[in-house]
Amino acid sequence: MMRVLVIEDDREHATFINKVLSEAGHDVETAYDGANGLALARDGEFDAMVVDRMLPEKDGLKLVEEYRTGGGQTPALFLSALSDVENRVEGLKVGADDYLAKPFAPAELAARVEALGRRQVKDEPPVTKLKVGDLEMDLLARKVWRAGQKIDLQPREFRLLEFLMRHAGQVVTRTMLLEKVWDYHFDPQTNVIDVHVSRLRAKIDKDFDEPLLQTVRGAGYCLQA
Amino acid sequence: MKSGPFAFVRTTTFRLALVYSVLFGLFSFLLLAYLFQATVGSLRAEADQRLDAEMRALGLAYNAGGMERLEQSVIERALVSGAPFRYQLETPEGERIIGDFPYLPVSPPDTVGEVSMVSLSIEMPRGEGTSSVTEAEGRIVRLANGNVLLVAIETGERGRIVRRITQAVTTAAPIGILLALIGGVFISRYAARRAEQLTRTTEAIVAGDLSVRAPVAGSGDEFDRLAQHLNTMLERLERLMASTRHAGDAIAHDLRSPLSRLRNRLEGALISPMTEESARETLESTVVEVDNVLQTFNAILRLSRLDAGAEGRMIKFDIHDLMSEMADLYEPACEFAGLNFVSDVGTGLAVLGDRELIAQAVSNLLDNAVKYTPQGGTIRFSVRRGPNGIAITVADDGPGIPEHQREHAKERFFRLDSARTQPGSGLGLALADAVAELHKGHLDLLWTEPPPNARGLKAVLTLPRDR
Repeated sequence: MMRVLVIEDDREHATFINKVLSEAGHDVETAYDGANGLALARDGEFDAMVVDRMLPEKDGLKLVEEYRTGGGQTPALFLSALSDVENRVEGLKVGADDYLAKPFAPAELAARVEALGRRQVKDEPPVTKLKVGDLEMDLLARKVWRAGQKIDLQPREFRLLEFLMRHAGQVVTRTMLLEKVWDYHFDPQTNVIDVHVSRLRAKIDKDFDEPLLQTVRGAGYCLQA
Repeated sequence: MKSGPFAFVRTTTFRLALVYSVLFGLFSFLLLAYLFQATVGSLRAEADQRLDAEMRALGLAYNAGGMERLEQSVIERALVSGAPFRYQLETPEGERIIGDFPYLPVSPPDTVGEVSMVSLSIEMPRGEGTSSVTEAEGRIVRLANGNVLLVAIETGERGRIVRRITQAVTTAAPIGILLALIGGVFISRYAARRAEQLTRTTEAIVAGDLSVRAPVAGSGDEFDRLAQHLNTMLERLERLMASTRHAGDAIAHDLRSPLSRLRNRLEGALISPMTEESARETLESTVVEVDNVLQTFNAILRLSRLDAGAEGRMIKFDIHDLMSEMADLYEPACEFAGLNFVSDVGTGLAVLGDRELIAQAVSNLLDNAVKYTPQGGTIRFSVRRGPNGIAITVADDGPGIPEHQREHAKERFFRLDSARTQPGSGLGLALADAVAELHKGHLDLLWTEPPPNARGLKAVLTLPRDR
């Protein structure tokens, strides 16, 4: 469970976000304008915040910028109808950690907020090994083993698996994979991502009893021991 | 701009013409002064010189041999044929001793030895007994014994030259100034007319008629260039407007049909008895349908932004890297669909462009290929360096697009009849085309296998190379 701050002026939208995140098991607090949102963000101890870009009193960009300049560490996700790459870059530049275009699927929002909460804290030493069940990854040697058995992966498959392992136990959507693993911000009409995931699954799960990589219907994938 | 017969008076060109005519007048005046100095001045100097020399010679004669010698000298000199001088020698009482004049035409000076310059008129024989009066210049002196000596030289020629030059210039200058003015008026009226034509064109555009074009005279002058630029701009505008209007119609059609489907489904669900399962099913399919609508909507937005001339985020990047990523992204999907995927993307070549947009354009082409190639078919993906730039080719084994429909195929929402049953928004090629245009490249649609087989779509996205 995470404490999530939602800053959104549209009441109906705020209620919807609130509902989505509550159902995902988070404790949600809502602010309806920028000034209040900033004050809450500074005072409350939140694990993540969801910020609309266009807010009364203080717009979202400014809010996050001021929050970061003030030393705020809580990861932030922008929600915006402005979905161009430029807008996204603007958002990340002021210190947001993710950017989601409106309208969005509830599963997408839930997955991304979940991913935010598990962000690596700045001062922690970088992780060199990942482990999910009997699946192990050495990030330096770029090698993967399952139950002690070495698995050969293409560079892209390696990155895909790395992302899934870093978000083990969380739902990861196709769009997230396309954005974070491939760095594309559009939706191919073809099921390219699914096919890549199937290939990866064939390599890490096929010869083992316990499948690790699950398909979450209507949302995406989840790697879990 | 107000027009009228004298509207040109306010134009810049006319004012310039006016300035030029004033300058021309000034120049004429200076030229006259110079000519005057060069001809008349030198003639006068020469006359002065000769008069002074003559006077000196006679003075020498007088000093050497007194009156007798002087008289002798005067007579001798007057007899020299062709000599230009006239002489007169008189007693202090005004009696003529010798000379060419019946009486002294000017009053003599009183002081002895002082030579005075005088102007006078003299009679010149003009043959057959006639004569004419002409101007002359002279030197007159009172000798030591009180006698008076006058030497004169005809200067009428000089006067005639002066008159002729003055006459020529005073006649020519007004004509010149007039011509300059007429030229100015002419040019300014031409310029005013051309400007007026452009003004009328823009007025028509402001009034909403985008089909007007500025007339191009074909002279290649700055007005022509301006008109051509204006026309290019208008063409682009008109195309944009047309595509917007077309898009409007298409949106109405392509978004209205899924929306009405959606509405029907919801209405249908409302009137039929509802179980939780059927309600969930209806809602789920509704969400899918809405997502499709939104996706189309996003694609339209992206396209509009491209058409409106959004600049894109131009960076220099390795096109081969990006394309091998694309190949890497699509290869499994092709295999999954039972297609052969042959890619040949080469190595290292930089382009200046929007990475994301190029990726999306190519992704659209690959999506199409995957969608329309029957199972067992082959998709060939290649990136080549060509004479016109970098050619990114996606060739499939599908039905292809007949020649006469290729231009339409790049329009928004255009879908081949054969493709209507396939999912898709009809925006893929339009977006690829817009991306190509943004990069000053182009998208060509060809046959994979040329006629007579005429099979398969070969889409070639050409990007100019980074220079």
